[in-house]
Amino acid sequence: MRIACLWVPELPLVAVLRAEPSLVSTMLAVVQPAPGDAKGVLSSRLRLVGAAGAEGVVAGQTLAEAQALCPELRVRLASPERVRAAAQAAVDAAASVTPRLEEAAPGLVFLDVGGLESLIGDEAAVARELLRASERVGLCAAVGLAEGKAAARLAARAAAADARPRRTRAGVGGGALRVVPRDEQRAFLEHLTLAQAEVSPDLAAAARRFGLATLGELARLPRRELSLRLGPEGVALHRLAHGEDDSHLVARQLPEPFEEGEELDWSAASVEPLLFLWKALLDRLCARMAARGLAAAELCLLLRLAGGAWDERRIELAAPTREVGPLLTLLRLEVEARPPPEGVCAVRLSARPAREASDQLGLFGPRTASPTQLSAAVARLAALVGPDRVGQPCAPDVHRPNAFAVERFAPPAAAALDGAPQPQTGVQRREAANEDPAQVALAIRALRPPRTAEVRCGDEGQPRLVIGEGALGGRVTASAGPWRTVAEWWTDSPVALDSWDLELAGGLLLRASRELDSGAWWIEAVYD
Amino acid sequence: VIAPVDNPAQRLPPADSPALADLLRTGQVRRAQQAQGRPSRPPLSIGVPGLDAALGGGLSRGQLHEIVAPPSAGGTALLRAALASALRAGELCALIDPADAFDPRGARAAGLDLRRLLWVRPATLPQALRAAEIALEARFALVALDLADASGPRAAQARQRGAAAAAQRERGVHLVRFGPPRKSERISPSPWARLSRRAEQHGGALVVLARAPQAGAFAAATVELSRARARWVGSPGTAGRLLQAGCALGAVARSRRGPPSAPLLLQLPVLDEGAAEDGGAEPGEAE
Repeated sequence: MRIACLWVPELPLVAVLRAEPSLVSTMLAVVQPAPGDAKGVLSSRLRLVGAAGAEGVVAGQTLAEAQALCPELRVRLASPERVRAAAQAAVDAAASVTPRLEEAAPGLVFLDVGGLESLIGDEAAVARELLRASERVGLCAAVGLAEGKAAARLAARAAAADARPRRTRAGVGGGALRVVPRDEQRAFLEHLTLAQAEVSPDLAAAARRFGLATLGELARLPRRELSLRLGPEGVALHRLAHGEDDSHLVARQLPEPFEEGEELDWSAASVEPLLFLWKALLDRLCARMAARGLAAAELCLLLRLAGGAWDERRIELAAPTREVGPLLTLLRLEVEARPPPEGVCAVRLSARPAREASDQLGLFGPRTASPTQLSAAVARLAALVGPDRVGQPCAPDVHRPNAFAVERFAPPAAAALDGAPQPQTGVQRREAANEDPAQVALAIRALRPPRTAEVRCGDEGQPRLVIGEGALGGRVTASAGPWRTVAEWWTDSPVALDSWDLELAGGLLLRASRELDSGAWWIEAVYD
Repeated sequence: VIAPVDNPAQRLPPADSPALADLLRTGQVRRAQQAQGRPSRPPLSIGVPGLDAALGGGLSRGQLHEIVAPPSAGGTALLRAALASALRAGELCALIDPADAFDPRGARAAGLDLRRLLWVRPATLPQALRAAEIALEARFALVALDLADASGPRAAQARQRGAAAAAQRERGVHLVRFGPPRKSERISPSPWARLSRRAEQHGGALVVLARAPQAGAFAAATVELSRARARWVGSPGTAGRLLQAGCALGAVARSRRGPPSAPLLLQLPVLDEGAAEDGGAEPGEAE
């Protein structure tokens, strides 16, 4: 089985470069505290997990050693949030090429590339596409393609030597690839040294005692005798040197939510510094969703507070989108509406993805909005005016005046409307029957909230004068009513009122109501 | 291949082909006017056939239109009728409603397919203008911008002032009449230039409802409505007394396509919402 291996060498280092692309051209060391030293404040206890650009500085040294070799070294603490996000990004990049993949370890993904020739091209094209996908999510990766997982892993490792991180718009790129054709695999493996074959230190030492340096030399030895001297690990290595690999690719379900996180060196006490952070996180999150053709249907913002507690916010989006601007505005509105009680020292942002809606547009006639454009527009509008102020209007089945509801805007496709008879009610039927060319139903302009008014009535109880806010007042020239509404008496806010239609002296038509219990008058609507 | 002729007068084109005459005069081949335009789509009906005819077929796509009407003159009804026509045609529509005045129950009773209507309720006037722009960019076929009550924060301030004044006065009578906004209350022309350009770029029709003309020369057509006497049925003070219909005079006051139209009497019957949803009773039937 032809397998591709997408490997992110030095994942903690690449994770830092992905979050801070400006560090690509600097001498950088990524350190983490030694076990047992949670705070890790002493440079002698900080151990390097990745280094780039500085000669002599390698992973495994302490920070003190590294700084002695290179005083200009820039140092970053390894961030679990960044590493986890980078590992997920590698999976997303692989998933944009094929869904048959297996994440063997963080930053190490195997893909079954069988059948991709008709979609992408030959094996070199598939490997290049994988590299491009990695760059799109901001990763510098090495891609190996060979027969079997182990050989593909070794090919990726061989390619990693040529990978040179460079700055890209999405983060960091500049990976390398190695494609091993079937008939050249034996020769490729034979020339690998034991160090390149990732042999354990004990086995490598034993092999050196036998004078073995490459897999080719190992392959020429008889397997039975090798097993007697080097044990099962030696046999496995012998099988690998012969190109024998029994391990199978186990395709797994991809993780559903997309997550990106960042830890702060300080605790943020206002929204402004967080905006920069969210922008970077959203950029990366949206790039990953774009790689898999998905859009965010819901955002979850987790803020780790200075006290250690997590503050969780969920923002359901009016429509799936991956436009960074509106999403950023929604986050800002959410946090400004309910500021966290303490400073924020870590942020995790996750998105519940949804499929991009697709629709068949017409070949003839002007372009209309695609579902994706519509979703993006609804999200932009929600960010502009607030998510609860955009949507499809609904009339709830209640008797409260001016009641309304807003639902998620999900219009049926135009095709679904074709041929289906449109419901005709009220005026439509009248228009169809009478064909009166100049008749449209009088509409109501709801006043939300209703305006208070003082209404003076005559002896017979008919309103005579309205004294209302601003222009909503005058002498009543015609009236009709009252119509009594008593509803929702079982709730804490019952409805009990008498309503009137009024025409004022200037011709203004109003609907006014008087509360039965308090006697207060309200102007609920204007006929227009 | 059409070569320039020595003497164009020898081959005079037919009088009805100015493009060919231009070609013969200049010797330059230009793109045909009809080919470079987008495929034309029929205009959207405003919901009143008489006004559609006066508008030259209806609301032109890609242009800004205005409905100017005082309160209770049917401006909202006409806007809703335009939305209903477009929705019936299967188009997507957006209603920008800064006054939060839309009545979904009445709209459903009037036959609007609310599933294809996006309702946006901005809090301020700048938000409303920006929302209209976004809706046009998203290629909604009809974008209705309802500025009838809204002048944004200014209106809110005026309301607050009115409330304060009401609290101060004790029993005195205070009559205030609606009037057109002062010149200083008009929106500056730059938003209208931008909105009309967006409408043109994206092919959507924009209809603005206002109490006084707002868009000026940027509006392709202005429909003006004025109040007429409402019709009531039944004897005053009796249970059968009902508001049967509002009445208005409507006319296309200004249009790029043609001369102003003659006033048209519009009947604005009151819709019995419950009856309309159940079976469609005529207004005034209860009498």
